[in-house]
Amino acid sequence: MPENPTREVFLHLATWQQVVFYVAGALASVIFVYGFWLRLRKYRKGRPDHRFDRLGRRILRAAGTILSNSTVRRGEGLGGIAHTLILWGFIALFIGTCIVALDHDFLRFFGLKLLQGNFYLGFSLVLDVLGVLFVVGLIMMIVRRVALKPAALDYARADHQDGKVDRSGYVTDDMIFVWLLLAIAITGYAVEGLRIGQTMPEFERWSPVGWSLAETLRSFSGGESGDGMFEAHLWSWWIHGLFALAFVAYVPFSKMMHIVTDAANLVFTDERAGRRLPPALAGGAASITDFTWKELLDFDACTKCGRCHVSCPAAAAGTTLSPRDLILDLRTLAGDAFGTPEFLGQRFRAGSKWPENTDGVDVAEKLIRPETLWSCTTCMACMEACPVGIEHLTSIVQMRRHLVDRGNMDDNLKDALMSLGDYGNSFGESPKKRARWTKGLSFKVKDARKEPVKTLWFVGDFASYDPRIQALSRRVAEVFDRAGLDFGILYDAERNAGNDVRRVGEEGLFEMLAEDNAKAFEAADFEEIVTTDPHTLNALRHEYPILGDSPTVHHYTGVLARLFADATLKAARPLGHRVTYHDPCYLARYNGEIDAPREVMHALGLDLQDMPRCGTNTFCCGAGGGRIWMDTSNEQRRTSEQRIEEALALDGVRIFVTTCPKDYTMYSDAVKNLGVEERIEVKDLIELVCEALD
Amino acid sequence: MNIVVPIKLVPDLVEELEINDEATDLERDFLTYRINEFDDHAIEEALQLKEAHGGSVAVVALEREETDKVLYTALAKGADKAVKITGLDEDASSHTAAKAMCKVLGDMEYDVVLTGVQAADDRDGQLGVLMASYLSIPHVSVVSDIAIAGDKLTLHKEYSGGVMASFEVTPKVLLGVQAARQTPRYAPVSRVRQIMKEAELDEVEVEAEPGAGSIVRRMYTPEKGEGAEMLDGSTEEIAGKIAALLNEKKG
Repeated sequence: MPENPTREVFLHLATWQQVVFYVAGALASVIFVYGFWLRLRKYRKGRPDHRFDRLGRRILRAAGTILSNSTVRRGEGLGGIAHTLILWGFIALFIGTCIVALDHDFLRFFGLKLLQGNFYLGFSLVLDVLGVLFVVGLIMMIVRRVALKPAALDYARADHQDGKVDRSGYVTDDMIFVWLLLAIAITGYAVEGLRIGQTMPEFERWSPVGWSLAETLRSFSGGESGDGMFEAHLWSWWIHGLFALAFVAYVPFSKMMHIVTDAANLVFTDERAGRRLPPALAGGAASITDFTWKELLDFDACTKCGRCHVSCPAAAAGTTLSPRDLILDLRTLAGDAFGTPEFLGQRFRAGSKWPENTDGVDVAEKLIRPETLWSCTTCMACMEACPVGIEHLTSIVQMRRHLVDRGNMDDNLKDALMSLGDYGNSFGESPKKRARWTKGLSFKVKDARKEPVKTLWFVGDFASYDPRIQALSRRVAEVFDRAGLDFGILYDAERNAGNDVRRVGEEGLFEMLAEDNAKAFEAADFEEIVTTDPHTLNALRHEYPILGDSPTVHHYTGVLARLFADATLKAARPLGHRVTYHDPCYLARYNGEIDAPREVMHALGLDLQDMPRCGTNTFCCGAGGGRIWMDTSNEQRRTSEQRIEEALALDGVRIFVTTCPKDYTMYSDAVKNLGVEERIEVKDLIELVCEALD
Repeated sequence: MNIVVPIKLVPDLVEELEINDEATDLERDFLTYRINEFDDHAIEEALQLKEAHGGSVAVVALEREETDKVLYTALAKGADKAVKITGLDEDASSHTAAKAMCKVLGDMEYDVVLTGVQAADDRDGQLGVLMASYLSIPHVSVVSDIAIAGDKLTLHKEYSGGVMASFEVTPKVLLGVQAARQTPRYAPVSRVRQIMKEAELDEVEVEAEPGAGSIVRRMYTPEKGEGAEMLDGSTEEIAGKIAALLNEKKG
């Protein structure tokens, strides 16, 4: 009768040793549960936030993201693959360990046993192979951190507090994480090899790594007998076991906790986060107790991967803002405030920005600091880059709301907000002049308040008042008219849609503007909305309850793409220019609209060369989130100029195409400031459409 | 110290100004009104003094359509009391307004009256002077850098030609504020709206006492000259033309 393939869990261990192991195991579990409880206690102290709707869908979405590891691998070569190998190896080994425990500590008492026969053979093979992937992944990670040192993993702070803040704890924690996992894996194989090596049962060929190791060990010991491995096996067993238990106990006090916090964060993150901001807490986020449990979870979820840090335009411009530093500072503060201190975290030394007593400290004014918070362009590059669903923007706006409440803002912004409050536009112009741009058109634009229209054109501030953009608005109107579109505008009843007002943190003003616009919408009869301004598009699409949960709001590029697709519009001749296109943050990243402008360019016969940062990975012009109204002299290298340089690096591109009024303004200025008017020209897509139609 | 700030509403220049048919005043029917900028500075300075030294701030304005919003905004910024004077013509002269303000002040506890040094519409600058004389208290105009030390105030007055004088005054006193120590603060809209729901304005009806004041005989936009004559030609030709012109003008 062939031998039944299986193995002893506590091979050669005396009863007292087994007792010691269970006691150690219990101790590690208690420490884990305690650490876990500390975290839960912290989140329970956060302000409420409703994130339990459609929980089943949320869990499925998170499971998909985690198992595919899609967000971790996106835009990340080596590190992404390494993480996926580690994750899959870890999951397999974790399940394997659970099966062993189930078998030995539960089923055994019912006379049952899973780990025998073919199941045991399959189990051995799967774990052995995935264990190898696990080890390979860990080695790749160590090489990446120790030798390759990508910029994203440089923990240098954006606010020049480096000498005053010790972040070496972060590095130690990272190293403990990878080396401890590697030690567990390698000792695991040692245990296996030494166990198999003692008797070399044929069926253990199904554990290929263990078997080869056993053969090697036997050849070293020079004999056919495996007796010498008895002692070594016992030792390695204990080392492996204690490493594993140390890991369990260490998890909730270290970066390893990301296994739990990031899974949870991916469940609770909202698809519309940032696009639709939460209503304001009176006075904004003043102290750490004003943050929601989801925000506290966000702070813990950060693994310091640094992707937000390297994609942030404010950081690239040399301001004091880094989304990573902001989240980590809030984590440190929340840890101090709610009793989950970081075991190996950042330490603020005397003379740093960190006050000695942080009880009830004003987070926005004293810790993160106004200059840092005002540097955000709300472009959402950080949230797009974040693999674990951290919603930086929500926290930034909550803190800005507090700064607005305290009047802590620069005079330019103050003037813009007062103008918006008084006149409904940021230009300080009379609301009566809002539709003055329509003068000079060969036809009268319908007044949507007086006659029904199919398409309501919500024009927006820049397109209405900025003389450079007014000319573009007239061209859009002419093309719409030529295509026979039944459209109208709200004339002087329209107000700024409030997208950037809201992101500045002036929630009351946003509500006022939205209410005024709501009245205008109620007075009008229309089926769909179109706008040339991506910022307006975002607010109307996501933040106007009056329009319903998902209203039909088109960007003009979407309308143009449709008109070209159904041949209502036809290019008289292909233009043939070699151009590049800047995806507006609020169109591409916020609203995922990437194809329509490209379809139009294709229809115009343009030769589009994309910049390295394009689509949802676009790079902000620096105007969003109210930055266009602020003093931006803290930018050492303007993002708009960096962007033009990015375009100039492309071969033979002489036209820089925009589809956002603010982009047109920002990039026209950047081209002038750089003195490269001879080399590149900023054009709105509508100008090229007109050129092709004529 | 208890501070009272009389303020005035002036036409908002965001709309184009037109002169009425009689050519004696602006065509006021379609104008909107906002707080006089100097008065906004007076409110800011009063709030700064209150925050540093305690006391209270009351803001007083004559009634017109926009007065409520302006007064609620002052409350949202931190004023303790807002008084709306009714019963007067909304475009009352500074003499009439000064008398009405003084009547209201008669029922109020105050140490200092801070008002804008002048208003952007008439540039009259008389309201503070008139009030001080009706109240028989000292008055300093074109004031900045107010500091409180004990029961005394020190302040700067600016004269023409860049000359500054330092004054020491004891309440009660009326000061015409040129500029606050910092730009007037921003009142968040949500707070203004909250105040509108919660707070009430004090309304005081005053019987109009006509004052003297000035009478506008004719109001007109600055008359344009004939405009410049552009000289063209070569450099030498232009130089010749200029020389000829100069000789001609010399007579």
